[in-house]
Amino acid sequence: MAQISLIRDRCLISFSLLGGVILGLTVLALLNMTVKELSDIPHLLRVATDTKVIDSIVLTMAAGANAILILMIFGIPLAYLLARADFKGKRIIETIVDIPLMLPHTVAGILVYILFMKRGLLGAPLYTIGFPFEDAYPGIVVAMLFVSSPYFINSAREGFEKVPVHLENVARTLGATRLSAFRHVVLPLSAREIYNGAILAWGRAIGEFAAVIMIAYYPMVISTLIYYRFSTSGIKESSTIAFVMILACFSVFLVLRHLSRFIGRHDDRV
Amino acid sequence: MIEFRHLFLRLGTFALKDVSIRIGKGDYYFIIGPSGAGKTVILEAISGLHLPDEGEILMNGRDVSLVPPEKRRIALVYQDYSLFPHMTVEKNIGFGLLMQKTDPKEIKSRVDELLVQFKIEHIRMRYPGTLSGGEQQRVAIARALASDPEVLLLDEPFAALDPITREQMIADLLRIHRENDLTVIQVTHSREEIQRMATRCAVIIDGICVQEGAVGAVFETPENSAVARFIGMENIIPGSVSTNESGLVSVDVSGKSIIAVSDVSSGSPVDVVFRAADVTIYRGEGDVRTAQNHFKARITALVPLGGPLTEVYLDAGFPIVALVTRRFAEDLDFITGLDVLISIKASAIRVIEKSL
Repeated sequence: MAQISLIRDRCLISFSLLGGVILGLTVLALLNMTVKELSDIPHLLRVATDTKVIDSIVLTMAAGANAILILMIFGIPLAYLLARADFKGKRIIETIVDIPLMLPHTVAGILVYILFMKRGLLGAPLYTIGFPFEDAYPGIVVAMLFVSSPYFINSAREGFEKVPVHLENVARTLGATRLSAFRHVVLPLSAREIYNGAILAWGRAIGEFAAVIMIAYYPMVISTLIYYRFSTSGIKESSTIAFVMILACFSVFLVLRHLSRFIGRHDDRV
Repeated sequence: MIEFRHLFLRLGTFALKDVSIRIGKGDYYFIIGPSGAGKTVILEAISGLHLPDEGEILMNGRDVSLVPPEKRRIALVYQDYSLFPHMTVEKNIGFGLLMQKTDPKEIKSRVDELLVQFKIEHIRMRYPGTLSGGEQQRVAIARALASDPEVLLLDEPFAALDPITREQMIADLLRIHRENDLTVIQVTHSREEIQRMATRCAVIIDGICVQEGAVGAVFETPENSAVARFIGMENIIPGSVSTNESGLVSVDVSGKSIIAVSDVSSGSPVDVVFRAADVTIYRGEGDVRTAQNHFKARITALVPLGGPLTEVYLDAGFPIVALVTRRFAEDLDFITGLDVLISIKASAIRVIEKSL
């Protein structure tokens, strides 16, 4: 259908041209880099097999995934409340959820740092029981969690709002408690939005730099490593690491997007 | 068995105000009224999905305010059927039993039984999105009955069905009601459904229960003009009682007098209410001033109703609607502007005092 109309429809043609500009920019940037990197294969292979680079990519993705898992445990209940309950001060809660979206990342970083540093309100007691955040893995996770939370919560909330209240009501009159109605009806029907929200938030978490270096310069996440190599070894070294990261991200997200088609498929049938 | 005592319930801009109704065990009870009058909210309140702000809901004599929906043994079927789109027909029907932790073998046999009873075995593995309206309706009712509820709540169950499916569904529901000794509470704005199915009914207008009682009583003796209008009294004419002589009143309507049987005292503002079918039209001239409820009138419009009947709009000094067969209208050469005589049976007229 779309193929035929694209040729005949002037409106769609002009939309494609305009949309092409934005796509073109990304593609051009990628091609530009790819051509340069592929012109020195031995160098590329050396960087790609550098354990420091591989460790850093794995660390970044794992910390991101870890943040998203925590976010799901606490974010899903919050998203459901925001979707279903009407209460005083709901607007304020919504604004609080969105705060990380609006703040410059350095500001987010400072917020996280002074709360979780060794002498911080939460950081101090946690440090004494052997759970340090400064220059440690938990520090990376908590910074990522903070900046990516609105993406996940808002997406999950949209998913919950899309499930008709009538379905929940019927489930309850059929003998389901609120919790089982949530588990058997609401959750499966919003699985796609929750999944997409998690991918979006994960992508955001992986990309975080400013907030992460403030609390945890070490161990180096990929952004820190690229910046470090850029300032010590120059553009060639850092852009090759960037290229390797691009390849890793591109393949991972391609697979994740593909998988999303199998989640919440009932939607397409209705 | 279910009783509302002075129920107040506010929901956004909508409110139920002082609703008191009583629904007996085994009733086929109708809640009727115009769209947006609060009928669905009443069903949801019975289910326990809304808590009353004031007043109480009793079931079998017990206040159920603190009983959550899942413990009430009440099944609710919404107008849009609300089937779970991610479950097959089979899973939908078995959902209630699964929630009550019934043994899987038992669930299967009960589901099989219902699939046969509702003639939907062939769609057991299908998803709701692929079903027709009639099929969805059957699945929804089968699902509601699966866990053997005491009360079945139906919200406009026929609104989205084609006429043939609808007839079938009406017959099925009446059979289910009879066979299972079930209490059914159905919401509608269709008068025809009420007269065919209901034993008792409540008329809800703007969140207020205007009249409650046996269907016959509500349809014969509407308590006020709003009910009269809703149950389809075509003629509602304002006037005032000029004399009352031992139960026979004369109502002054735009200078004419309509005679009826009533105990309303003279001087009261009233509505004179009667059905279009109780108006007789005949051709002829002559003096009609002496006969009771005979008037000269002029035809202002003829509206064929699609079937064998035609509505005749007349001006007799006040507007009036009559119902005749199309054949009759043709035989007497009715056309707009024609002068005719009409008569209204005094026994068919109700005089309703206007509440101030």
